[in-house]
Amino acid sequence: MFGSYNSGDVLWLGDWGTPWILFFLVLGALVCGISYYDLRVLPKRKCWTLVGLRIAVYLLAVIFLLEPAIDLKNTSKVKNQVAVILDGSISMGLPSVQQQEKTRLELIKEAVEALEIPATKTDDDHIYSFYQFGDALFPLATAQSAESDAGKSDLATAIESVKKTYAQKDLGGIIVLSDGIVSGAMGSRTRRGEKLDEITIAELGRLKAPVNTIAVGNADSFRDLAIVNVAHDDFAFVHNKTSIEFDVQAVGIKDTDLNATLSRDGKVVQSRLLKIRKGKSNYKLNFDFIPQKIGKEVYSIDLPHLKNEALFENNHAQFLQKIIRDKIRALQVVGRPSWDERFLRRHLKQNPNVDLISFFILRTNQNIRVAGTDELSLIPFPTDELFQDELGSFDLVIFQNFNFGPYDMRRYLSEISKFVKEGGGFMMIGGDLSFSNGGYSETAISDILPVELSSRTDTIDFRPFKPELTEAGLRHPITTLAFDPVENRKLWQELPDQRGTNIVLNAKPEASVLAVHPTLSFGGKPMPVVSISEVEEGRVMALTTDSTWRWGIERVGEGGTSREYQLFWNNAFRWLIKDPELKLIRIENQVDEYDVGAVTTLSVRVSNPDYTPAPNQAVKLIVEFEPFFEGEQVEGGTKQKSAPETLLSTKVQTDAGGLAQTKLALEKAGRYKISAESRTSSGLLKDKDVVIALRSVSEFRDIVPRTDLLKQIAETTGGIFTQLPNSKPAVELLPSKSIQVNRRKVIHLWDTSVAFLLLVGLLGLEWILRRRWGRL
Amino acid sequence: MNRRQYLKGMAGLTALVAAQIPGTLFAMGPDDKFTIAQLRYKGAYNTRPTALRRLTLEVEKRTSIVSAPKIPVVKATDKALYEYPLVCWSGDEAFDELPAKAIQGLRDFLLSGGLLVVDASDGVVDGPFIQSVQRELGKMFPNRKLGTIPSDHVLYKSFFLVDKPVGRLAISKTMDGIFDQDRLMVIVSQNDMLGAWSKDNFGSWTFACTPGGDKQREMSYRVGMNIIMYALCINYKADQVHVPFILKRRKWKVD
Repeated sequence: MFGSYNSGDVLWLGDWGTPWILFFLVLGALVCGISYYDLRVLPKRKCWTLVGLRIAVYLLAVIFLLEPAIDLKNTSKVKNQVAVILDGSISMGLPSVQQQEKTRLELIKEAVEALEIPATKTDDDHIYSFYQFGDALFPLATAQSAESDAGKSDLATAIESVKKTYAQKDLGGIIVLSDGIVSGAMGSRTRRGEKLDEITIAELGRLKAPVNTIAVGNADSFRDLAIVNVAHDDFAFVHNKTSIEFDVQAVGIKDTDLNATLSRDGKVVQSRLLKIRKGKSNYKLNFDFIPQKIGKEVYSIDLPHLKNEALFENNHAQFLQKIIRDKIRALQVVGRPSWDERFLRRHLKQNPNVDLISFFILRTNQNIRVAGTDELSLIPFPTDELFQDELGSFDLVIFQNFNFGPYDMRRYLSEISKFVKEGGGFMMIGGDLSFSNGGYSETAISDILPVELSSRTDTIDFRPFKPELTEAGLRHPITTLAFDPVENRKLWQELPDQRGTNIVLNAKPEASVLAVHPTLSFGGKPMPVVSISEVEEGRVMALTTDSTWRWGIERVGEGGTSREYQLFWNNAFRWLIKDPELKLIRIENQVDEYDVGAVTTLSVRVSNPDYTPAPNQAVKLIVEFEPFFEGEQVEGGTKQKSAPETLLSTKVQTDAGGLAQTKLALEKAGRYKISAESRTSSGLLKDKDVVIALRSVSEFRDIVPRTDLLKQIAETTGGIFTQLPNSKPAVELLPSKSIQVNRRKVIHLWDTSVAFLLLVGLLGLEWILRRRWGRL
Repeated sequence: MNRRQYLKGMAGLTALVAAQIPGTLFAMGPDDKFTIAQLRYKGAYNTRPTALRRLTLEVEKRTSIVSAPKIPVVKATDKALYEYPLVCWSGDEAFDELPAKAIQGLRDFLLSGGLLVVDASDGVVDGPFIQSVQRELGKMFPNRKLGTIPSDHVLYKSFFLVDKPVGRLAISKTMDGIFDQDRLMVIVSQNDMLGAWSKDNFGSWTFACTPGGDKQREMSYRVGMNIIMYALCINYKADQVHVPFILKRRKWKVD
């Protein structure tokens, strides 16, 4: 009857509450008492026989009322879940200990084998599931299918995912197999050598299951030098000190002194001595330097490669920093005080974005000296400081009616020319000491000016005139006083006359002439008054007159304002310093650093001279790739810088919004130099940009296994910690908490004829005995 | 033809062009040379006729500034006022109220970058001329008060290191001024500076300087030249690069 059932319970199906049960007991006691009182005259044996029969009948009746039954069950145990999670980060591809052939991943796979988990992934108490964790947690068919390819090893996220996965199930435990280099929240909260933080402990506690950790690798057997962290700002100000801090970890390296270098484009900018001493593995170093150029700079921090190092990749770190200007640094050098100089200085000084350094020649050798130096506020003209030591700190140099001859400055002119070619701005403003009159013909300055100079030094026309805009000048940002070309020309005609001009020859072929003299000409061409040119990386402007100040004050006397004066000079400065807002073609990149393998969209925006979008413009896009120059390879050898490789050379068309786009896959680590060109009504427009693609080497930054972390996790959760390869893996798992009922049967004990006959029989027996013993 | 030959050829051609240009070739033109304009108004506006030219000659001798040979006379309502950003307003007696147009003209001129130097020739502190000037300046700039120019202002070190703003007289220890932000646009002297600078046609000083004699005259010239340097260079000498030199020469402690 009970053969297939392995457990049972007695049930009381009668729906009687406790008061009724008490009532039945009291009633039973009364029945017993009354019966005894009634039968006390009988001999004791007869009396207790009849009382006993009556109690039996009463109890049987009460049992009928309570409706007893047997609940028979066929049950079996429910197995709980065990998650086996294997570290799939790239650090697992490293050897487990120095110079061992097996990788960390191979060792943990062997450890899984040693756990003797059945092929069916289930035993009497547990069901096992395999996962790999890295950037995220994902299931594996078998532990052997794990791969070390993830850029991160986010154990905190992995454990949280396990918790969610088994939220509705019975979790018997987790088995983590890793080298302990965790790069997620847990790794950042608990640094090497620190105790587990409270958040991690709380999160592990909520699992309510042991986390067994099987650690691979051994910190003691390693030899590695690594840049584990670089702290830098995304941008720095040009000509202002910027700092880069970086952490170095040296493991298994004997006392030695090394050089850490900071390079820009393969050229060493700075080096720092790193003294590695026994007993100390972490070092903090920094580079302080002053960026000299505006733009994006790709920097590389390099440590030398030591023999028998576990890994060389972590001896280098690259990053990109945007160098921007905080203020325009302008140097104004003036040959003599004049209204032109005064209005320009006032204009520049009022601009909070300009840091102006002025030097005016207030007295020359031709002047009478009636007062001693101590009675004057004159200072020496610091030519060395200005044109040699500090020249690079300026964005713009202005020679305003200044002749270099009396100050022994010829040797500095080539410095200024070099300054321009490297990206600086230079402007020469007219006056009787400027251009040919200043002796600049056949000097390094004449080489960069947009106009040819005569060798004569008395070339000035002092007749008043109004400069006339050329076709280029009608639309160029410098001479655009109104976006509408007709209105622009009208405005220029309304400006007060200029009182004389330096005479220059033709504009150079590469120059753009924006305004010309109305009557003076040379070689059949009107003489340039406002001309510009781009000289390699820099820009130069020549203005042959010295009376633009009249636009600032005489225009007010005519009922106007000084707006045109201010606009002209603001435009000129912005153009000279290459203000990005004035670019008619712009490569627009929102991101500068990508992971290798990313695909980005290159966007180029082309504008008309009035800054409205330029649709249907052909844009030539060229992308050149250059791998990172990672310096010294191995002690004694040097890696050669690779030549740039053209990855992309294509033509794209701008849409209605002036935007042209194309895709670029960044498949290799290195610099991607992007250049865009478009020929528009404004001439040939060019822009350049650079982005970098970095290998995801955060895992390689710190490759020394963190067995301490794994040990603490196991201890916190009641799991077992195992150190490979010396120990046999062991795990602690919870027993199953659930029972599953396969079959069930309820047998009613009161609802049977036997029970009824028993009741009737007992009643009949009591009646017969009572009658025979003389009772009614 | 190489570049050098080309340039020589060009230079020859330029010489031909330049040879046909009349006038002096050592400034951009007479209009662009420095000068001070004399303000003309109904009253004794030209009490020291030779003073300003004497000052500009002295400036040309002692500094790199090139000055124009003539002192223009302008009215507050002239458009020509705006061609001369430095204007001198002198007198020795009270004068009638200026027309509203003249007040507006001077106001616009000063706010657009002009500098007005007021010099009283009457030899009286807060005399009738200064009172008339103060009345007109009050109408010009009702919200800006004439105040004392501090002794450490760049005006006192724009070329010479000057302690006192003396003129023919030394009756006022300070000069007053009205500022547009940090720029002085009105300077008022009551020490008859123009009297100290005046010479007659024979080259003799027109007035004696009291109480300091010729030393005071020299100091007055220095004040005048400082005003011109200030007009042309504004606060150039307040730039940080000059500060240690000036402090040292003033024998002040330099950190």
